[in-house]
Amino acid sequence: MSNAQIEIQLIASLVAIACAIPGTFLVLRKMALITDAISHSILPGIVIGFFITHDLSSPLLIIMAAASGVLTVVLVEFIQKTGLVKEDTAIGLVFPALFSIGIILIAKNANDIHLDVDAVLLGELAFAPFDRLSIGDTDLGPKSLWIIGTILIITLGLLFTFFKELKVSTFDAGLASALGLSPVVMHYGLMTVSSITTVGAFDAVGAILVIALMIAPAATAYLLTNDLKKMLFLAVVFGVASALTGYWVAHVLDASISGSMTTVLGLLFLLVYLFAPEKGLFSVLYRQKRQRIEVSLLTFLLHLRNHKEKEERHVKHLNEHINWQKVRSKSVLDLALKNNMITIDHDIVSLTNKGKKFTTEAIDYIVTNKNSEIENMKDRFFLFRG
Amino acid sequence: MDLQEYIELVFTDYTLRTITLGTAVLGAICGMLGSFAVLRKQSLLGDAISHAALPGIAIAFLIIETKNSSIFLLGALISGLIGTFWIRGITRKTHLKSDTALGLILSLFFGFGMLLLTYIQKMPNANQAGLESYLFGQAATLLESDVWLMVIVTGISLVILLLFWKELKILLFDADYTKTLGFNTKFLDILITSFIVVAIVLGLQTVGVVLMSAMLLAPAAAARQWTNNLAVMVILAAIFGAFSGIFGTAISASQNNLSTGPVIVLVAGVFVLFSFIFSPGRGLLFREIRFRKNRNDLQLHKTLSFMYNIAKTHEDISHPHAIRILNNFQGFTRKSLQKLENKDYVKIEGSMWSMTKEGYHTAANLYDQLIKEEDE
Repeated sequence: MSNAQIEIQLIASLVAIACAIPGTFLVLRKMALITDAISHSILPGIVIGFFITHDLSSPLLIIMAAASGVLTVVLVEFIQKTGLVKEDTAIGLVFPALFSIGIILIAKNANDIHLDVDAVLLGELAFAPFDRLSIGDTDLGPKSLWIIGTILIITLGLLFTFFKELKVSTFDAGLASALGLSPVVMHYGLMTVSSITTVGAFDAVGAILVIALMIAPAATAYLLTNDLKKMLFLAVVFGVASALTGYWVAHVLDASISGSMTTVLGLLFLLVYLFAPEKGLFSVLYRQKRQRIEVSLLTFLLHLRNHKEKEERHVKHLNEHINWQKVRSKSVLDLALKNNMITIDHDIVSLTNKGKKFTTEAIDYIVTNKNSEIENMKDRFFLFRG
Repeated sequence: MDLQEYIELVFTDYTLRTITLGTAVLGAICGMLGSFAVLRKQSLLGDAISHAALPGIAIAFLIIETKNSSIFLLGALISGLIGTFWIRGITRKTHLKSDTALGLILSLFFGFGMLLLTYIQKMPNANQAGLESYLFGQAATLLESDVWLMVIVTGISLVILLLFWKELKILLFDADYTKTLGFNTKFLDILITSFIVVAIVLGLQTVGVVLMSAMLLAPAAAARQWTNNLAVMVILAAIFGAFSGIFGTAISASQNNLSTGPVIVLVAGVFVLFSFIFSPGRGLLFREIRFRKNRNDLQLHKTLSFMYNIAKTHEDISHPHAIRILNNFQGFTRKSLQKLENKDYVKIEGSMWSMTKEGYHTAANLYDQLIKEEDE
């Protein structure tokens, strides 16, 4: 590994961590799309900053960009407050307009500006090590490393100082304001941090990867845990892991680094989305199927309990009577037999003592509207689940 | 280039005519279908889908290895649909919210698309140029065949809209009721979403991935301000969209170095801004005017009822009182007194006021809803 490669990976990892932290809170607060808006609408800020200074590396660019990011948030909220359109429409109206202004400004002055829209959207991490910060003759390392490092330290400082406050205001805004934490301050604080992080990061990795790095690790982590600290930790791990993997994939394919990092993030999310133990697609589908059979079983047992007549309890009759298909009624019968709920005698089904007890309790819970208790009850009665 | 010259050019110049027609038709179809997206609270779906279409275009290129805009559209359509259904899957089956799902699909698909694009750029193939035009759109590349395709798709979606008008309308406003009526809501949902995806994919070439969502939203959001009727809204949105296309093309054609996409979006933005401020029913301007009028009316009523309370204590209601005694009442001004006199509720002589019979009657029934509109 050459020096430049190590630096690129270091920058990418720092960006991943810096994005994952505000990203987690944005995902939890259902404001994930505001990053999308901010990352697009900082373009006019950068262009105007460039016109003023004529220097792409001036700190004024970052300030202007962050300002236009905050302006986006303010505009979105203003439009939303008028009640003329919904929040998502407000976001969708504001950022394309600002982005268009940015593109037009660039296009109109294309001759005396070497600001590339592609570079803004995609960034080019590969060139980051060449833009170095130096005082006198001493080389202090790549500039973006310093920028993103500073942002990360500030973010971490804020996170540790205000962790409790952030937690409360994220999960229970009402409680937070009752405790004297102003939701407005929290909101704009988070928005400013996200805005600055977006600006600092996009210089290195581009606008799209910033969105991906903010949302994807947090969303992936959210599928695996409900604990905020664990979620933050997992998001950081996922972010860094895909940044490093993405770099090497790009190295092999000789393609855009940000593109391949995003792709790795996407694959990671896909894996977790499909296979996460509790909330993954497969386990959700499996659980739904099981619940469907168990609800059918309950209905079936209640039907048996209500009917003493033999013809109502005949196996054949059940198919027609409860309108189940053959396969389904067979799996329900099997389940009931396995769990010792019923006995079948000459094709006549009757409840066992255990089955009677089960239905009595179930009815009790249904009547008293404590449906959630049935889940616990199933654990007590069932040897085999559906 | 002045206006007349430009209008002549539109009718004589092939390229300009094609582009103008193309953007107008595109604006119309986007406005039409965008109305549904806005009302279904799927405004940002357009943003996500247009980004999600990018890998489809790149993969289509990798397969056929030449430029062919219809194959690209097909690729974009397929990957846009995959993105849409994945978003639905995420919001339905997990506890992630729709904003997270949209942001995820948007950035992940787009990043993957960019990976493919940069990979393609490094391939030794001379035909790769022009794929980037899908990022920001290039209306200049529109051909007559593209415009025909747009017209045909617009026609088909118009027919479908008319066929399923009633069903779509009821689905928009009361999905549960639609289900109980026995309509196949899943089918209707997929139908309208697919058409929104088609409209987005059509626009990619012209306005590009990034700005496509505004094409879909802005005309509909503007039209929404003028009416509460779905049919009127859809028609208005189509008109707004078409005019954004025409004006946008005109402005960008009359200046150098102006790409069409952003200008169209800004023109549509102006339509939205205008509607937000000047629409009679919901607009900010008229809302403010109504607000002021109500406040003035309220102040007038307060003054009147204060006077009534004073006059009530006298046997002769028209007994004159000094204006001075109103001084410790906040709502009273010289202007409001003048207004009351104009309405014949009070008489003012010098520094004294007295209530008229009519004023007394109105004040007595001020808060009685049954006797109404007399004091308007």
